[in-house]
Amino acid sequence: MQNPIHTSDLTKHYGDFAALVDLNLDINAGEIFGFLGPNGAGKTTMIRTILDEIRPTSGRASILGMDTHEQSVEIRRHIGYVPGDLAMYPNLTGRDTLTYFANMRDGVEWGFVDELATRLDADLSRKVGDLSSGNRQKVGLIQAFMNRPDLLIMDEPSSGLDPLVQREFQTMMREVAADGRTVFLSSHTLSEVQRVADRVGIIRHGRLIAVEAVASLRSKAIRTVELMFDSPAEASVFEAVAGVRDVTIDDHQVRLSFDGHMESLLAAVADHYTLVDINTEEADLEEIFLTYYRDGTD
Amino acid sequence: MLATVLTKTLRDRWKGPVIGAATIGLFLLFGMAVYRDIDLAIYTDLPEAFRALTNIPADAGVGSLAYGAIYSSYGALTLASLAIAMGATSIAGEERDGTIGLLLSNPRSRTYVLVSKTAALVLLTALGALILWGAGRIVPAALDVETTGMQVEALLLHMFANALFYGFLALAIGAWTGRGGFASGATAAVMVVSFFAAGLLPLIEGFENVARLFPWHYFEGSQPLVNGIDRGHLSVLLAGVVALVGIGLVGLNRRDLRGQNAGVTLLDRLRSNPMTEKVVDRLAGSTRVSRIWIKTASDHQGLLVVTAAVMFLMMGVLLGPMYSLIDESLIGFADDLPEALLALFGGGDMSTAEGWYQLETFGLMAPIAVMVVTVGIGARALAGEESGRTMGLLLANPISRSRVVIEKSYAMVFYGVVVGFATFAGVALGSLLGGLGMSAGNIAATSLLMTLLGLGFGGLALAVSAATGRVKAAIFATVGIAVAFHILNAFLPFNDSLAGYTKWSPFYYYLSSDPLNNGMNWGHGVVLSLLAIALIWVAVVLFDRRDLRQTG
Repeated sequence: MQNPIHTSDLTKHYGDFAALVDLNLDINAGEIFGFLGPNGAGKTTMIRTILDEIRPTSGRASILGMDTHEQSVEIRRHIGYVPGDLAMYPNLTGRDTLTYFANMRDGVEWGFVDELATRLDADLSRKVGDLSSGNRQKVGLIQAFMNRPDLLIMDEPSSGLDPLVQREFQTMMREVAADGRTVFLSSHTLSEVQRVADRVGIIRHGRLIAVEAVASLRSKAIRTVELMFDSPAEASVFEAVAGVRDVTIDDHQVRLSFDGHMESLLAAVADHYTLVDINTEEADLEEIFLTYYRDGTD
Repeated sequence: MLATVLTKTLRDRWKGPVIGAATIGLFLLFGMAVYRDIDLAIYTDLPEAFRALTNIPADAGVGSLAYGAIYSSYGALTLASLAIAMGATSIAGEERDGTIGLLLSNPRSRTYVLVSKTAALVLLTALGALILWGAGRIVPAALDVETTGMQVEALLLHMFANALFYGFLALAIGAWTGRGGFASGATAAVMVVSFFAAGLLPLIEGFENVARLFPWHYFEGSQPLVNGIDRGHLSVLLAGVVALVGIGLVGLNRRDLRGQNAGVTLLDRLRSNPMTEKVVDRLAGSTRVSRIWIKTASDHQGLLVVTAAVMFLMMGVLLGPMYSLIDESLIGFADDLPEALLALFGGGDMSTAEGWYQLETFGLMAPIAVMVVTVGIGARALAGEESGRTMGLLLANPISRSRVVIEKSYAMVFYGVVVGFATFAGVALGSLLGGLGMSAGNIAATSLLMTLLGLGFGGLALAVSAATGRVKAAIFATVGIAVAFHILNAFLPFNDSLAGYTKWSPFYYYLSSDPLNNGMNWGHGVVLSLLAIALIWVAVVLFDRRDLRQTG
């Protein structure tokens, strides 16, 4: 089966400004892919390019095996989209809005729409212009999910949602993936991506700087390690180990940041001391993310 | 903060008055250049009533004729319209954009904000008047046209006060309601009614004094170009301005600010009433969103209803009986009217009912009305969805960009046809009521050509909208081009060597065949249709090529 999203050397310039540079990315069917980056990194530009809202300066992209420009209309039969900074028609009710879009797709299963509305606690009878931004966002989410698309592309979809609705939304994304369909989730909300995504891509200044499985990112992550020995320790022993930094010694106790395989650290210290206790704090994506960004600026 | 709000408003708004006034200045140049070459002897025979209406003194010269025709009508309407646009959005615009809350979260009162907006409105209107004054002095000097005895300063001062009056009327309505569209629409309606009432009522015996009820009377009723400043009239306008500022202040301070809410329309009320719910729900809900063009058409329904109603009632039905009431003496002199002046209003021989309707309705007002809707829709159709940030969502559906453009053009055609039909029905009914015996077929032909003309310029607006994604660019470019073509079409025929070039103006294909008397000219109809179709096609091509804009 074709990759739900495939880009090769996708590049977009606005005048002299390179918003997207040589982006090569393959998203697999049935996965939730988190697309991470700070504001202005190029996430939205990438999404708008593959949706044919804007045209690449060079490079190509395909969705479900179809060229994003040549076959854009056919592609859109198979996708659901939640734009960042969602705006809708203020003078239409939620249900009118969904009907409007459903009419462009030869109808929709209203039972499913109602089910989605109940799950997200959305009021479809009120005018979109009278809704709070979170409630408006719910209408946008239903709009994207209601056609059971093969690929969901969502740009910062949980903005404005309260924690309970966010949780339900995450469940909905997992269901889509479990169904063999695909979710492309652009976000700077790391905790959300960490909870739902199988893989993440990290983008910075328009360049994709890493694509990793969430699990393997974690294993590589810098973690804080606390070691307790039966005798006072010396900092130099630890600083000699590759991947160790920020060593602080408090008599028998050592605290350090470590980025590497635990085995090498243990092997290095075993020659000098007898280990009494060890405690590691698992890093979360937040730290990984910040690390990538710190490294990127070096 | 006062200075900040003021300077920001000035910075946001200065282009309108500058472009508007400079354009009118150019028309003055063009008008004076043309009038200079015409035999002026005919003006000495002008009927007094007509001279009074158009501000032409008994010893009319090139200068007074040009000032009268261009400044007193076009110039005054333009300056007042600019003031209305600024006034209507002063407060209501900030509410629509959702910025009023942010603005008022600063330690300043609503009164301060309104006073800043007031100052900006006065300064920007003054800027426009100043440019008009400069052009009014430079143009005759450059063309060596005699302007002795003409008090351009007095005319401009009256024009300035007049524009302020309408600007502050719009500001007051906007301050009370928070609805910019309503404020500008209602004020524009008052202005148009007042413009015609002040011009036409003095022509009808026994109604001369009724004109005093209309504010436009206090602008040109005293003929300031000839008689200088009329302190009485000027103080009426300025007292009105002060009163309106006060009313605006009271209104703004006492009401709840609007969020970016959608507001409640009559249809919404009917929709929530159990009696009417079913029918209205279908109309306002499922039918409305069944097609892109139907939704687009429903989005601007207020504009359509008002425009069609004005054309039907005021420019159609009312004018029929009025013609039979008008002073015979005026009609008797119709042969002597200067063609160059009449040409600006579309020409027309006032001694016949057809000529009357051509001069009053079809010459100028009808093309304006149909363009208000076709250009309005054309400009907003694509660029409006982009600035509203809904285009991305719309195009996430399996529809091509071409289809979006085509659907939007259906809405434009629908609007043009409705206004065309309203005009036809109004004029036909007016003719019937006034016993004028005009041919319904010819009225229909003229209305059809008028609709096609509107669609041509609507197509242009759609094309600019498709190419740029900017509503304002589309409106300004189209209106500028339309006015230029109209002026060319009106003046070129007076110069034998240039007369052939009128065929390059779309307006030529509208009235040059005199359809009110001669019926449909299918060749001209085809030219206008092809123009509209070609421009819509250009819009399709241009829209398909470019990157969508992300924000307004």
